[in-house]
Amino acid sequence: MMQLVTLEVNGEQHEIAVEADGALLAVLRDGLGLIGTKRGCDTGGCGCCTVLVDGRAVYSCMMYTLSAQGRKITTIEGLAADGKLDPLQEAFVNTGAVQCGYCTCGFIMVAKQLLSETNNPDEDAIRHAIAGNLCRCTGYHKIVEAIRLAAKGG
Amino acid sequence: MSLRQLKEFCIPGDWAEVDAQLGRYGARAFVLAGGSFVHGLDARGLLHEVEALIDIRNLGLDYIRAESGGLRIGATTTFAHLQAAPTLGESPWLGALADALACPPRQIRNVATVGGSVAASCPYFDPPTALMALDARVAVVAGGARREFPLGELFAGTFENSLRRGEIIVELFLPRPTGRSASAFLKLEGNANDLAIVNCAASLEIDAQGRCSEARIALGGGVGDAIARATSAERLLQGRVADDEVLWSAAEAVGEDIDPHTDHRASAAYRLAVAKVLTRRALTCALARSARTPT
Ligand SMILES: Cc1cc2nc3c(=O)[nH]c(=O)nc-3n(C[C@H](O)[C@H](O)[C@H](O)COP(=O)(O)OP(=O)(O)OC[C@H]3O[C@@H](n4cnc5c(N)ncnc54)[C@H](O)[C@@H]3O)c2cc1C
Ligand code: FES
Ligand code: FES
Repeated sequence: MMQLVTLEVNGEQHEIAVEADGALLAVLRDGLGLIGTKRGCDTGGCGCCTVLVDGRAVYSCMMYTLSAQGRKITTIEGLAADGKLDPLQEAFVNTGAVQCGYCTCGFIMVAKQLLSETNNPDEDAIRHAIAGNLCRCTGYHKIVEAIRLAAKGG
Repeated sequence: MSLRQLKEFCIPGDWAEVDAQLGRYGARAFVLAGGSFVHGLDARGLLHEVEALIDIRNLGLDYIRAESGGLRIGATTTFAHLQAAPTLGESPWLGALADALACPPRQIRNVATVGGSVAASCPYFDPPTALMALDARVAVVAGGARREFPLGELFAGTFENSLRRGEIIVELFLPRPTGRSASAFLKLEGNANDLAIVNCAASLEIDAQGRCSEARIALGGGVGDAIARATSAERLLQGRVADDEVLWSAAEAVGEDIDPHTDHRASAAYRLAVAKVLTRRALTCALARSARTPT
């Protein structure tokens, strides 16, 4: 069953027909072409589909699109909307926290919420914040370092 | 996704609308809160019959009220919202709940609701074990009528709750214990994003002589069809000073209260051993917290 909805993504309003039982992830990637948000497990197990909804990190593969109506959705594309990288993106580049890159956007989005709440997270807080995200390449060390660097202002 | 019969996705703003949808769709209506469990059901093909999803998050059930008699938590309060409530950090008697809410990943804590967490009747979840040790009561509403009952009566079996058709959980109430009291919760899991092999919550009330005037212990995670209260262990603590010997014997007694099983996460024998260790550690932690609590 298709239904017409208005979604606010990265500050822009989109009127789009969506499956009533469809997940936000599908609309973002397949409907709006925002493919920075990745599809990994599609069941809440890997974190690479993480986006912000009203500033809070959620698995977009587990949120019904219709539940996201009227809320502010931010994807990785929204972080550098004015062409300048977000301090978190800069820090991931400068630290070498990216290998294959498939998990990266999810880590950056969950870290974005963390840094909106605290500007001085210790290692424990960072590791706890990224516990819902998997990376099969880096071993996490450089990801933690990147988040700490971004917190210090890059 | 298995919602092939879905005709309506409604987000009612008042109870009249809820009643109208429930009246129209009856058993084919399905309540949706944070959706983190519903999605799993959907992905496993278990929602074929559902014709209407009713998202209950606009019904004003997202609240936390600290009263002199206890804590009222609206059913659609998310884990993250509850974690941020000052009363949780300030009240040793709620320690077990604070510990348990921190377990799921942040992306789940941001959406999962307290009502959804208990309604799912999954013995592997964490907050329900803490809520059992805190003697929680559930309030449900159907067609304008409200009834309340102890949380334990909600759990009819694994993934099975005792709600009657059309009943929606509106609130959980945690009675504030009298005197010096504290609680703690512990979980053993395989990795940071997994459900419990075993979890345990302990809540203690200590009298002026340092004796346990009340002890409640709950265990979950593959130790039975539903979360278990460890009543044999509780009896051993009642009226006694919880010294090392008492704690060890209470932990040992947990074996009489649970029925662990073997699955892909762990064997029954391992669960039994872990349940005893977690019980002793949760009691020790609750005791230490109570020592820091003003009378
Ligand atoms: C990746 C992942 C990791 C997780 N890790 C943990 C963990 O570490 N610890 C843990 O405890 N849990 C964990 N969970 C489970 C999570 O806590 C539950 O899915 C969540 O609590 C369910 O709440 P919800 O609001 O999302 O419910 P929903 O998914 O919306 O609903 C759950 C069930 O309850 C019913 N329901 C919901 N609200 C009500 C109501 N008010 N009245 C009547 N019926 C209702 C629904 O119909 C449904 O059957 C995890 C889940 C995922 C996906
Ligand atoms: S794709 Fe959403 S958590 Fe893996
Ligand atoms: S960089 Fe490859 S999965 Fe993280």
